Amino acid sequence: MGGYILKRTLFAIPTLIGVTIGIFLMVRLLPGDIIDILFGGDLSASEEVKDRAREQLGLNGSYPEQYWRWISGVVQGDFGFSLRNTEPVSAVILDALPITLELMILALLIAVLVGVPLGVLSAVKRDSAHDYAARVGGLVGVSIPSFWLATLFLLFTSRALGWVPPLNYISPLDDPIGNLSQFILPSLSISVFTMAIVMRMVRATMLEVLGQDYVRTARAKGVDRRTVISKHALRNALIPVITIVGFEIGILIGGAAIVEIIFGLPGIGYVLLQAIFGRDYPVIQAATLLIAFIFIFANLLVDVLYGVVDPRISQE
Amino acid sequence: MSKDNASEAPDSPRAGELNRRDLLVKAGAVGVGAVAAGSLAGGAKAATRRSRATPIKRGGRLIWALESDPVHVAPFGQILTAGHWGKELTYDSLVEWDRNLNVKPALAASFKIVSKTEILWTLKKGIKFHNGKEVTAEDVVYSVGKMLNPPLPGSISTVAQVPAIAGADAVSKYVVRLRLKQPDARVIGFFAWGRYAPIVPAGFYESGINVARNAIGTGPYRMTGFNPNDRVELVANQSYWKSGQPYMDAITLKTLTDEQARLAALRAGSIDGGTFSVDVARSLANVSDLVVLKGPNAAFRELQMTLKPGDSKPWKDQRVRLAVNHAINRADIIQRIYSGEAEYSGHVPPGYGPWPLSDADLKNKYLKFDLVKAKKLMADAGLAKGFSVTMTTFASGDYPQVSAVVQSQLKRINIDVNIVAQEAGTFAANNGAGRFDWDLTGRGMRGDVDGYVAEFHPAAPVFKIWYPEYKNVKAWRGIGNGRIQLDPAKRLPIYQAAQRELLLNPVQIPLVAIKKYQVVRKRVQGMYVAFSDFNTGLRTVWLNG
Repeated sequence: MGGYILKRTLFAIPTLIGVTIGIFLMVRLLPGDIIDILFGGDLSASEEVKDRAREQLGLNGSYPEQYWRWISGVVQGDFGFSLRNTEPVSAVILDALPITLELMILALLIAVLVGVPLGVLSAVKRDSAHDYAARVGGLVGVSIPSFWLATLFLLFTSRALGWVPPLNYISPLDDPIGNLSQFILPSLSISVFTMAIVMRMVRATMLEVLGQDYVRTARAKGVDRRTVISKHALRNALIPVITIVGFEIGILIGGAAIVEIIFGLPGIGYVLLQAIFGRDYPVIQAATLLIAFIFIFANLLVDVLYGVVDPRISQE
Repeated sequence: MSKDNASEAPDSPRAGELNRRDLLVKAGAVGVGAVAAGSLAGGAKAATRRSRATPIKRGGRLIWALESDPVHVAPFGQILTAGHWGKELTYDSLVEWDRNLNVKPALAASFKIVSKTEILWTLKKGIKFHNGKEVTAEDVVYSVGKMLNPPLPGSISTVAQVPAIAGADAVSKYVVRLRLKQPDARVIGFFAWGRYAPIVPAGFYESGINVARNAIGTGPYRMTGFNPNDRVELVANQSYWKSGQPYMDAITLKTLTDEQARLAALRAGSIDGGTFSVDVARSLANVSDLVVLKGPNAAFRELQMTLKPGDSKPWKDQRVRLAVNHAINRADIIQRIYSGEAEYSGHVPPGYGPWPLSDADLKNKYLKFDLVKAKKLMADAGLAKGFSVTMTTFASGDYPQVSAVVQSQLKRINIDVNIVAQEAGTFAANNGAGRFDWDLTGRGMRGDVDGYVAEFHPAAPVFKIWYPEYKNVKAWRGIGNGRIQLDPAKRLPIYQAAQRELLLNPVQIPLVAIKKYQVVRKRVQGMYVAFSDFNTGLRTVWLNG
C-alpha cells in the first residue's frame, strides 16, 4: 500500500505542474489586468503612470520571467504577495482554508450520512412509497443549484425565524455550538446535490448487489436480513459510491465558492472569486493550486479507501 | 417607511462648525483669496441650522454591511471606492464637505491663497491622532508627500487624481505652505473629498505598522481591526476634535457582497443597515422596523463613442451624434428601468452643487427627445437608412437593461445596435484602451467639477485614446480656463457654458442620473444617502435604543 501511495503521489506532481502553467496562462489571457481595474474609474492617467504602477506591482517582464519568479517562490513555500493589498498570499490562504475545509467536511458528512441510508432504504423497499419519495427527492436534489438553495435558506430563516447564521467567523475550538450554527445552513446548501447523487448511486448499486448470488446464498443460509444488507451487500455497494464522493469534492469546492459569498464566509472560494474580479494573479494562482491539490489528495484518499473497503484491490 | 434626502432638512451643523455661508464670512477675514477658494467645490444648498426632534442618545454598536470588500485600508493609493468605505470614518483631511458638498474647515481652521501657486493652511491646535500625538504641520507635509507618491499597498494610480501639487513645507508648527506647479482650482475639492488626501502622523509608513490592516487618523472612530473579505472594527475616538461626537461606542463594517445575504441579515436584525438595489429597497418600504433612504448619487449613465483617425464611422458626423442624442427617450428609460426614480443628467450630474445644467434646460433643449429632429439629422447626414454598431457594456447591474432600451429606441432611426455585455475587468480593460465603438458606461464622484469635463480636453491622456478626432474649441477653452480660475463665481458660468457646448457637439451622451438606496433599522438615526457614494452619514449616526 505504501508503494502504491508513493507512486500515486509522484504521478500527482506533473499534474500540479500542469495546473500551475495552465492557471498562470489562463489568468493572464483574461482581458485586462489589475492595472485596468485600478485605473478603471480614472480617466486622466497616462500610460507612463500605468507603466510605473505595473512595475510597482511586479507585473513587468515577460510571461516566462513572471512564471519563473512565481514558481521559484512556490517551491520554497513563498507564494508571493497579493497585488491588491500586499498581504502574503500564504497568510491569505491560511486564513481562508479552515473555513472551506470545515464547510466541505460538514457537507460531505451530511451527504453521506443522509444519502447512504436513504439509498439503502430505497433499494431495500423498492417501488414502495419510501422509494418513490427518495427518488423524487433525489431528482429534486440534483436539480436545485446550491446558490439558490442557500439564498432560500437564508431568506426563509430570516423571515420565518428572524435568525441568520452569525456574521463573524466562530472557530470550532472557541465555540463548537456557535460554529455549528454558523456552518449548518451553508453546509446543507452545498451537500444536497452530493446527497442526491450518493443516494441514487447507493440505490442503484444496492439493487444490483442485492440480486447477486452471494447475497441470495447468505439469505438462504438464514443470515439475518439486517446483516445481509449491512455486511454483505452494502460494503460491496459502497465501492462506486466512494469513487463518486471523490469526484464530488470538486463539485463541493465549486458550490462552496458561491455559498461562501452568500453567507459571508471568507473561505477559499470567496477569496478566489474576489481575486478573479480584481485580477489578483498570485492569489488566484495559489488558491487554484490549493484546490487542485485538495482534489488530487481526495482522489488519492479514495484509492486508499478502496483497499480498506475491498482488501482484494490493495492485494492486486 | 421611506425618506428622500431631498425632502429632508440638511443635518444640523454642530456648535463650532460652519456652514458654507459662515465659511465665506470667516474666510473673508483672512483675505479675498480665501473667500474664493473656500467655496471652490460649490454647494448644493447652504446648510441650515435645525433642531433635532429627538434628543441624541449615546452608546451602542452599529453593524453596517458593505457591499464590497475594502481590500486594504492604507491611507494613500487606494483607488477603489470600497477601499475608502473601510477607512473613511478613521481619517480626516484639511477641509471637508458637509452632506450638501459645502466646504467646511476640518483639521485646518483656515486657508489663504497667497498667490496662484501657493496656499497657506493654518491648522487647528490641539487635535490629536488616535495614537495621542498632536496634529502638526509636519504631519501634513508628510501626508502630502505620500499623496504624491503612494507606497504599497496603495498604487501610484491615484496620483492622476491629485491636482498640480508640487509639495508642502512647514512654515511653523501649525502653518503649512502648499506649493502648486501651476494654478489649479481642484485643490480644495481634492482635500474636501478626502478620498486621496487623509492626514496621517508623520512616519506612519516607517513605524512598522501594517498599514494595509491598521489605521491611525483623527476621525470619529478608531480602527481596532480589519480582516480582508470579512470586517472592519471601529471604536469611538474619545478625543475626537468635534466635541460631543461620535455618538456611538463602536461600529462594525461587515462585508456582505451578496445582496440577498444583506437582506436576510437586515430582516433578522443581524445588521443595522446597508446599500440595496431599488427593487429590494422598494420591497422593504412597508416593513415596520426598517426605513428606506434614498438620494441622488454621483453615478450617472452615459453612451460613449470613439472617434479615431482613419476610421470612417458614421458617428464621425456631428449630426449623427446629435441624432442619437435626440432619439434617446430618457423619460422612457427612467420609467422602464428605474420606475421613475432617476433624473436627466448632463455631463455633471444633478446634485453636484450648483454646477449641473438645470433640469428644464436638459429636458426641453439639450437632451430633448425629438424623433423628427433625429430622423432629419440622420437624413441630412446621408444616413436615413441607418447603420450597425456594437455597443459594449457591463454585464451586471442596470447596464444591460439600459442598453436594451437604448437599442430599441435607436432602431427608430435605423441604427442597429449590437449589445455586448462584459465582465467589469474586461470592460475596464477595453474601455481604457479605447477598444470599442460605443460603450454604455457610468461615471462616478469627482473632487471638482473639472473632473467631469477634463476628459474632453485634448490635454487629457484619455482624449488621445478615445477621440483624438473630436473637435470642440469652445468647450476646450472653457475647460482650460475653468481649471486655472480660482474664483468660483467666475468658474460657474465657464463650466456651464462648457457643458452646453459638449451637449451641442456630443461625443459622450449623458443618459440618466440614478438614485442610491440604503435601508436602515428604525433605531438608526441621522443616516442619509451621501451623494459622494461614501457612507459619510455614519460619522454622525446615533442609535435610538
